[in-house]
Order: sequence, then structure tokens, then C-alpha cells
Amino acid sequence: MSSPACNVDPKTAELWDKGHYQYDVISTRTLGYFMYLLSDGMLFATLFAAYGVLSYQHSYFGGPTPADFVKPWYTFVQTMALFLSVLAYGFGMNALKHKNKSGVISGLLAAFVLGVLFLMLDIHDMTHLASLGISVATSGGMSAFIVLTQVHATHIFFGLIWILVMMAQVMIKGFTTEVVGRLLTLRMFWHLQAIIWVFVYVFVYLWGYMS
Amino acid sequence: MSHGHDDPTLHPEVQISTSRGYFLGFAISSILMLVATFLVTSHAVPPFGLLMVISACAGIAIMAQIYFLLHIDISEHNIWNTVALVLFIPLFLITIGLTWWMFSQLYLHTMIMPGMPGMMH
Repeated sequence: MSSPACNVDPKTAELWDKGHYQYDVISTRTLGYFMYLLSDGMLFATLFAAYGVLSYQHSYFGGPTPADFVKPWYTFVQTMALFLSVLAYGFGMNALKHKNKSGVISGLLAAFVLGVLFLMLDIHDMTHLASLGISVATSGGMSAFIVLTQVHATHIFFGLIWILVMMAQVMIKGFTTEVVGRLLTLRMFWHLQAIIWVFVYVFVYLWGYMS
Repeated sequence: MSHGHDDPTLHPEVQISTSRGYFLGFAISSILMLVATFLVTSHAVPPFGLLMVISACAGIAIMAQIYFLLHIDISEHNIWNTVALVLFIPLFLITIGLTWWMFSQLYLHTMIMPGMPGMMH
């Protein structure tokens, strides 16, 4: 056994191993992305806190309150659209387990269509509010209501773009480590939107309706 | 942990998906949201009790979704996600709880509202 230093030619020596030795690329990325999602959850926590302190009677400045315009069954349809979209994405990820490319594509497509339905219902709701003359400038309570619900809708909007990108990547690149890792992070993102929506639906829409 | 290098679809986080789990998460949370919506629109329960019931519906739906959709459990591959979530929960509670408490005390002591009892939702 000779001393390794004598045998290494410094001109050709590879100092760094370019491979991912003993290192799980996908798990590292999904854990990092989960940390990001939790800090995104902190953003929602601050918005929920703002809604909590701005949903007193005096917060509405004598103007309209959510009880005046929230239609629970309309928003329930929105809830179902989002839950079904999340379910379709889950079925797509089950197809990924079996390397079923058309299954993944159809799962993503169904998730996209249902997500668009959710967003259209939200936009219709917001234009209805605008037609009643309600905007973020109406009162502190309405600011908190609109900003919280529309920040969630913005997440859905960017998630829909991401779903389209992933459909293209699955078709063009196939199931590479990068593409599979991104499908997993998008799964976390999309499923977290359903979890946050439960809070928005119950504590903003339903509670606002009964207040 | 060098699994899944050759074929990323064999990675445990891919293999953890089951249609049954996703369907259960969907069904449980949908039924609970249906119950909450029905109770709120039918006005069958007094407001405070109603708030408790719909909060319970939300809590159970959230737990079902966290378990079945995000796969938060104590398995080898997800334990660190679970640890991160558990460490974040106090931050969520402190952010919302302390803010709400501070402002409710502020409103109370500055008498911002005529007729204090009506201030509570």
C-alpha cells in the first residue's frame, strides 16, 4: 500500500466527486421545499391574524360585512373543485409510481382543469363584490377578507402555471430525477393549498357568514 | 440512503402514494365540509355551539389531509417533515393567538366600541 499523495497527478486529479454519493437528491430537495412551504404558512398565519383582529363589528366601519354577501353553497362548490383537483393530482402521482406516463399527464390535466374552475369561481365572486362597490378600500375588515382570500387564489394561479410546466416536462424529458423531484414538490404545494383552503373556508367564509 | 439513483420513480417518496390514501383524505374532508356548510346554512345550532362544531370539522379535515395527502407520519422518510411541522405549529399559534389577544385587549381598554358586549363577533 503506497502513500496516496505520491500517486496523484495534480494536473488531472479530480478533487470533487460530481456524483451524488450517499446523498439522496430528491429527499434533500423535498425537505427543503417543505421548509419553504412552512414559511409560506407563516405568511398565511399573519394574514389570518390580521383577519382575526379586523373582523370585529367596528372593523367594517358600518359598511358591508361577509355576512351580507357570502353564499356558503357557492363557496362549497369552490371547495369541491379544489378538493377534486387535489385528488386528481394524487391519482396522477399514483400513476407515477407505476411509470404510467399517460396516467400522470391525465392526472395533471384533470388537476389543472379543476383548478381553473376554482379560480374562475373565485374571480366571478370577486367581480360580484366589485359590482356591489366593495373593494379593499371599503373598510379594514374588507381589506383583511379580500387580501387573505386573494393571496390564496394567487397561490392557485401560480400552481396552475407550475402544473402546465410539469405536463410539458413529463412529455419532453420523461421521468428524470429532476422531473420526478419537481412532481413531488408540486404535490406538496398543491396539497398544502387544500389544507389552507379548509382554514379559509371555515374560519373566513362560514364564520363570516354566521357572524 | 442511496436508493432511487437509477430510477427516480422507485424513490420512497414516489412509492408512498396510494390512490386509497388520497381518496380517503378527499372523502373525509369533503364530508366534514359538507356537514359544516349544512349546519351553518340551516341555522339549527346556536352560534357559539356552531362555531365549536365547525372548528372541530376543520380540525379533523386538516388532520386527515395532513396525514393522507402530505404523508406526515413517523416513517423513516418523512420523520423530518413531521419534526419541521411540529416545530412550526407553536409559531403559527403564537403569531395568531398573541396578535388576536393584544388587539382584543387594546379594543377593550381603549373603549373603541360603543356597547362592549356586542364587540364579540
